[in-house]
Amino acid sequence: MALLDKFAAVAAIRAGLNTSSHDPTQVVIDTIISATEGIVEGRHTILAGTNNYLGLTFDPACVAAGRNALAAQGSGTTGSRMANGSYATHAALEQELADFYEMPYGMVFSTGYAANLGTLAALLTPGEAVLLDADAHASLYDGCRMSGAEIFRFKHNDTVSLEKRLQRLGERAENCLIVTEGLYSVLGDCAPLKQIVDIAERFSAKLLVDEAHSLGVYGDQGRGVSEAEGVLNRVDFVVGTFSKSLGAMGGFCVSPHAELQLFRYVSRPFIFTASSSPSIIATTREALRQLRARPELRQTLWRNAHQLYQGLQSIGFTTGPEVSPVVAVRIGEKEEALKCWNQLLELGIYVNLMIPPASPDSSSYLRCSVSAAHTTAQMETILKAFRELRKT
Amino acid sequence: MNSTKDSIEPQIISLLVSYLAPRWEADPQARTEVTGTTNLTSDLTLDSFQVMEFLMEIEDALDIAVDMNSLSDVHTVSDLATVVASRVKA
Repeated sequence: MALLDKFAAVAAIRAGLNTSSHDPTQVVIDTIISATEGIVEGRHTILAGTNNYLGLTFDPACVAAGRNALAAQGSGTTGSRMANGSYATHAALEQELADFYEMPYGMVFSTGYAANLGTLAALLTPGEAVLLDADAHASLYDGCRMSGAEIFRFKHNDTVSLEKRLQRLGERAENCLIVTEGLYSVLGDCAPLKQIVDIAERFSAKLLVDEAHSLGVYGDQGRGVSEAEGVLNRVDFVVGTFSKSLGAMGGFCVSPHAELQLFRYVSRPFIFTASSSPSIIATTREALRQLRARPELRQTLWRNAHQLYQGLQSIGFTTGPEVSPVVAVRIGEKEEALKCWNQLLELGIYVNLMIPPASPDSSSYLRCSVSAAHTTAQMETILKAFRELRKT
Repeated sequence: MNSTKDSIEPQIISLLVSYLAPRWEADPQARTEVTGTTNLTSDLTLDSFQVMEFLMEIEDALDIAVDMNSLSDVHTVSDLATVVASRVKA
């Protein structure tokens, strides 16, 4: 096979998606109006698939912080922190994240993907064992693969499956890492972290929790599912992203283990990547302040989540297993899901299309993500559009 | 337990037939004979995710631990039996 021949299969998949009027992989938001609205193909569109949970992307304080940093510190850092040095604001954000989680150590990465890749590739080495939830995000899989560790999958959110695999590892279980997420991003279900922490401690295994979708969403202080379950102080590594609730870009790891400070010397995704620009760091820091100072954002978010989840159920759709700001609507066949996704877009509603193998099972889903910035009227418009799907 | 590859292969075929049963029920045309030379992706049209899911079924059925890294060179049922047999021995 010639070097480029393998792309024929990709082209065939893409052609399959292009049979409808819109290609779900090629949506362009011509104009972004607000945290929840844009113009797509000339249509005013409600954005219900952007993970903008707290709706902070247009927050005046965040925008001002970014603008001021851009003017004062320039457009970029032009290199990695290892080579070019850190700006004081990178270090300040690391300290603020550590304070927020009440953990002594924090580390910032340029993207959420790099945070997972960089943390796992630093933490694990070939020959070590990692137990990974089967539905974990691709970045967690890739980080484990990059490390060269032996990867054992356990069934999604299944503590019996996890425990069985730890038992099978025998003495190796004591030196292994368990990797899970807080809120899973496709179906909107939470990990049973209390039970997972108990199991990890019983086997003396370490635990890493990815709170990418749960930061700002769960817990009294918005620190994620670990906090909501009362086990944050028993988690070894918390990773997350700035690109969802914080409305910016980047990722982080916080930990009670001092060794996190040494990851900087061995984590290739940290060492060989340009550091985040000052404006991104500034908007992230301001968004974190907003998250901490405005718990009402979480209250509004959850009100909207309940409205959408219950509304969709009352229409007759099969939704994810629990109420969360990620509301997945099970459609079943890929062709039907594609058709429904197109209809919603034409009705001015943008959601995510999840089809196999990107979906966690062989079903296809319309995935909605709710924002604190969605108004009650917007939520009603979204539900009205879903009702239209039922008529066709 | 006899842990040679030859004894493992029929067990894997049996598990695979059970795993594929719902799919074959929905699409009888897809039903095919499964042997050691059956290719998991080209003959059974399993994608990488489904192969990993099936591996978990094998782990639980045989009470063994098989890391997913070992799937990188697995193409056929026989390849899979070789990997599984090595873990049973261990």
